[in-house]
Amino acid sequence: MNLTEANVGESCIVKDIATDDEELKAFLFRLGCYSGEAITVISRKKSGYTVAIKDGRYNIDGNIAEAIQI
Amino acid sequence: MRIAFAGNPNSGKTTMYNALTGKNERVGNWAGVTIGRKESPIKADYANTTEELVAVDLPGAYSMSPFTPEESITSGYVRDEHPDAIINIVDATNLSRSLFFTTQLLELGIPVVVALNKSDINEKQHTKIDVDKLAEKLGCPVIKTVSTDHKGLQDVVKAAVSENGKGQKAPYMQAEINLHDKEAVDAEDRKRFAFVNKIVSEVEQREVHTNERNKQDKIDAVITNKFVGIVIFAVVMWAVFWVSQSKVGPWIADWLVGWIETFQGYVSGLLDGGSPLLQAILADGIVGGVGAVVGFLPLVMVMYFLIALLEDCGYMARVSVVMDPIFKRVGLSGKSIIPIIIGTGCGIPGIMASRTIRDERERRATAMLTTFMPCGAKIPVIALFAGAFFAGSSWVGPVMYFVGILLIFLGALLIKWITGYKYRKSFFIMELPNYKIPSLKRACFSMLERAKAYIKKAATIILVCNCVVQLMQTFNWHFQVVAEGAEDTSILATIASPFAVLLIPLGFGAWQLAAAAITGFIAKENVVGTLAVVYSITNFIDTDELALTGGANQVAMTMGLTTVTALAYLMFNLYTPPCFAAIGAMNSEMKSAKWLWAAIGLQLGTGYTVAFLVYHIGSVITGAGIGNGFVPGLIAILCMVAIVIFIAKRSRKEFDEEYELHSKGTGATA
Repeated sequence: MNLTEANVGESCIVKDIATDDEELKAFLFRLGCYSGEAITVISRKKSGYTVAIKDGRYNIDGNIAEAIQI
Repeated sequence: MRIAFAGNPNSGKTTMYNALTGKNERVGNWAGVTIGRKESPIKADYANTTEELVAVDLPGAYSMSPFTPEESITSGYVRDEHPDAIINIVDATNLSRSLFFTTQLLELGIPVVVALNKSDINEKQHTKIDVDKLAEKLGCPVIKTVSTDHKGLQDVVKAAVSENGKGQKAPYMQAEINLHDKEAVDAEDRKRFAFVNKIVSEVEQREVHTNERNKQDKIDAVITNKFVGIVIFAVVMWAVFWVSQSKVGPWIADWLVGWIETFQGYVSGLLDGGSPLLQAILADGIVGGVGAVVGFLPLVMVMYFLIALLEDCGYMARVSVVMDPIFKRVGLSGKSIIPIIIGTGCGIPGIMASRTIRDERERRATAMLTTFMPCGAKIPVIALFAGAFFAGSSWVGPVMYFVGILLIFLGALLIKWITGYKYRKSFFIMELPNYKIPSLKRACFSMLERAKAYIKKAATIILVCNCVVQLMQTFNWHFQVVAEGAEDTSILATIASPFAVLLIPLGFGAWQLAAAAITGFIAKENVVGTLAVVYSITNFIDTDELALTGGANQVAMTMGLTTVTALAYLMFNLYTPPCFAAIGAMNSEMKSAKWLWAAIGLQLGTGYTVAFLVYHIGSVITGAGIGNGFVPGLIAILCMVAIVIFIAKRSRKEFDEEYELHSKGTGATA
């Protein structure tokens, strides 16, 4: 399942970043979003998701949320 | 000794740089404010040594492998330019992410000093970091700092100086791997993160965990709401324009203009009895023209003050979140809003701020469209027309900005259509920084810095332009003073007249107006300066007084413009290409002659079309019937449409071919 289906407020473990965009994958990696690491959806809206990765808060759009497998 | 400032985005590098050097570089509470390298000597009271220390501020980066163009500046600099020491600014509230980059910096062999910045926020959240242990684990000095309060900065510099020449031992060394082998690199990076995680778990104790919902999230829920968020943004921007251009700005400007007039009177008095020509050039041309521009300075200053507050509080990141879904639909990124807001101050930093947008097409489109947002130099033009033709109505200013935004949307749609944008999936990710109470001191500095630049410009470019305009107006081609009543024979008139013909379909075919529009390409303030010179009017701003003396009408009458044609002329000046300097900035960001010419063409076409529509539709609405030159104007616009369609067809074909090749290429390697 991907991040769009995650429960809000529940910490999940990333399984994979499913994208063929290597740069995006590398970028997410550097923020600490890669398989084995925790990610929490703080709020979910139609337009995007607020997530906590390590000790940072980010807003990501649906395309990225769909790529993050948990 | 050169000291490089490196660290994650929004960790406070530029704030520290400004504090240490006394410079006034742009700071803001979002990731990616600094987009280029800056160098300056460190102030003596921090240096504590006889050797000259030079601070080098770099854009934020998350790692040594760059992702956006500005990040590559950082990795390139620390790797190739061999600074004598690196001050690694670490956001202490996000140690686990920041140390990844730190461990990479430590591998370079250059002495590193870690500045644990934003320590005050950690104290508030009761997060404890064992500094000594961290220093021991990393093998470099670690110092707690709060760069907004200048805390710990002296110690950081001292540490950097004492480490000079000592080299650096890395606590974690990347194994010898083939850097082209993706899997090996990935495994190596994972090991590095594991190393960082281990350190963090040993040195950091947290009470507040980031994955819990906090107060800021509640604020964000409202501010980034799909509908409410847009309303809030519109209200905030309207308030900025209203306060700066209808309330506080003009209030201060009134007072300033009084002084300028007194000065002009004084200069005239001094020249009394002298050559009337000299008097005309000095008193009317120089003092009058430049004074007309300087009179609007308070409006620009107040605007800068308010924008600085916005940049500092953390709102910008949220706005880009709100705007992303809308901007995405027209082929831009949510991040495009940041250049646009910065562009309300000055288009050049606005265009440069587009550098943080990762997708090349989105970045170029943003650089192309940013300047539709009226910049500070256009404020005098707006204020002049609002005062002279709309009785100082407070709606004129904000409407010009909202039309600017509308044109950005339409322009973006056009670019999207022309480039046949459908292949690439665009991604949006934006860090949401902690909110912070904006610093009034910072905002004042930003305002004063702007005032300085504005006055400098008025005293150089605008002064020279005004003199030239004044001379060209005074003399004819035989270098004789133009006789009264024969103004049309002046050099200026004969040069500007052919251009004026082109403007007849827009409702303002007078050579004076054409001349003002042309000088506007050098600097937009020139529009006001030139109008002041060619019509010998100086007091543009004090609309109350003008109304009493009938001056506003007088200005309107001298220019021979109706309300409708004035609006058309104003919009023509606002939405045609900005000054040459901004075009230069566009050139360096776009790195493509094709895009640059497209940008100039788009802006000229837009300005022309908007003015045309305003003039003719406005004339019909006000009952004057279709204006002059409707048919030639329409033909000109249809020609532009035809060119656009032609370019679109060609570029879409090219794009299709390129995409096909590209997908074949990747298909073969995959």
